[in-house]
Amino acid sequence: MPFSIKKAKSLIVLFSLIFIQLVFISIQVPMGDESNYFERIVFSVFSPINSGVVSVFRGIGSIWKNYFGLHKVQKDNQRLQKEVFRLNQQNSLFRSMLRTYKKEKEMLDRVIELEGSILPVRVIGLDASNIWKSLVINKGSIDGVKKDMVVLDKQGNLVGRIVEPVALKQARIQMITDTESGVHVIPQGKNVPAIINGIGNGLCTLEYVHATDTLITEGDNLITTGIDGIYMPGVLVGRVVSVAENISLFKEIKVEPAFRIQNLDILAVIKADVNELF
Amino acid sequence: MKDLVGMLLSVIAAFLLYSLLAKISVSMLFLFNFFSLIVIYFALEKGEIYGAFLGAFCGLLQDSFSMSIFGVAGIAKTIIGYSAGYFSSKINVTPIRRNFVFVFLLLCVELIIWSMLYSFIFSERVNTGEGLIFFQPLITAALGSLAFYLIRKLKSTKI
Repeated sequence: MPFSIKKAKSLIVLFSLIFIQLVFISIQVPMGDESNYFERIVFSVFSPINSGVVSVFRGIGSIWKNYFGLHKVQKDNQRLQKEVFRLNQQNSLFRSMLRTYKKEKEMLDRVIELEGSILPVRVIGLDASNIWKSLVINKGSIDGVKKDMVVLDKQGNLVGRIVEPVALKQARIQMITDTESGVHVIPQGKNVPAIINGIGNGLCTLEYVHATDTLITEGDNLITTGIDGIYMPGVLVGRVVSVAENISLFKEIKVEPAFRIQNLDILAVIKADVNELF
Repeated sequence: MKDLVGMLLSVIAAFLLYSLLAKISVSMLFLFNFFSLIVIYFALEKGEIYGAFLGAFCGLLQDSFSMSIFGVAGIAKTIIGYSAGYFSSKINVTPIRRNFVFVFLLLCVELIIWSMLYSFIFSERVNTGEGLIFFQPLITAALGSLAFYLIRKLKSTKI
């Protein structure tokens, strides 16, 4: 059977498309977690659709609740939920600050500064390649969201940080469960500094705890130290679920993150510079 | 032009379904792959070139909404888009059972290519969602072949 021109053309198209994407991949691998322009464009163009879907479904949901539920109770509930959310965030941050600061005046100044820096955001998308890697939120550069801002859940537990791309009205969060994430932590009340890394399946590992160390036990709560320069100190990150020894110098410690992925509908982005505040 | 609008609307529909599924249950995301169904559908209808282009577009769209390297899902979907169009011109995959097997095989190939590229580039294992991802080809193929059958029925009754 003769090799037709049409078939040759279609093969050229196939190999060209694969080649272009291989070029994309080879450009990005050395760039690490930085996103390229093309990715930013696609993200910026399509993220409003994602945002729209969430808004439409929220709208339908709220119409249903408002018309068929108890209107006043609903309103009160919404107001109280917002209040609880705000207070939870403030409480968590204040507790972190209390550990760091002693002077009352200094504390008061920081509290005033902090009050305006909590930005409530809604999760509009999960990572298509691995749900434990990243989230997309409905606030972006227009709302003051910038790279490396800290993100907490409704209870003030650490979720992750803002990474690129940051679109006008959308941004991406790298979760602490991502394999490329690292957070400097210590167990609450114990002085054993270590680093938490995600393992990509919803759990994390606590790295660099010496095999001879006996201080870390199952059930220990891990909090941030702030040494990494990204996360403020004193925020709850997770709980130790297993401690095992192996042939290496370090212990094999599994950590369950403090946040629950099912409850990540509303989050808080801390807009303040944590290095200046803490 | 009409085809392009149709494709774009289908991609948006897949995107909407993906967002909706994420709202319902996170585990469901491991079971359904709407973008691949759109790619296979248009590849069956319009041929391998359309399939390859749409596959590249859908894959890159999927990559842009993840921390994955831009192009990993793109390559996998380009290959299945092309293959769907090419093989459907050689063999008749219209009957529902044959269509199911065909879509299932394509989705298995896509999952294998994507997992291999992902593991190679990131040097880490793919998150299988406690094994749920292995059911993705089966469930997506069942849904897809049924949807394709219903679309064909609907089209034939209109004519």
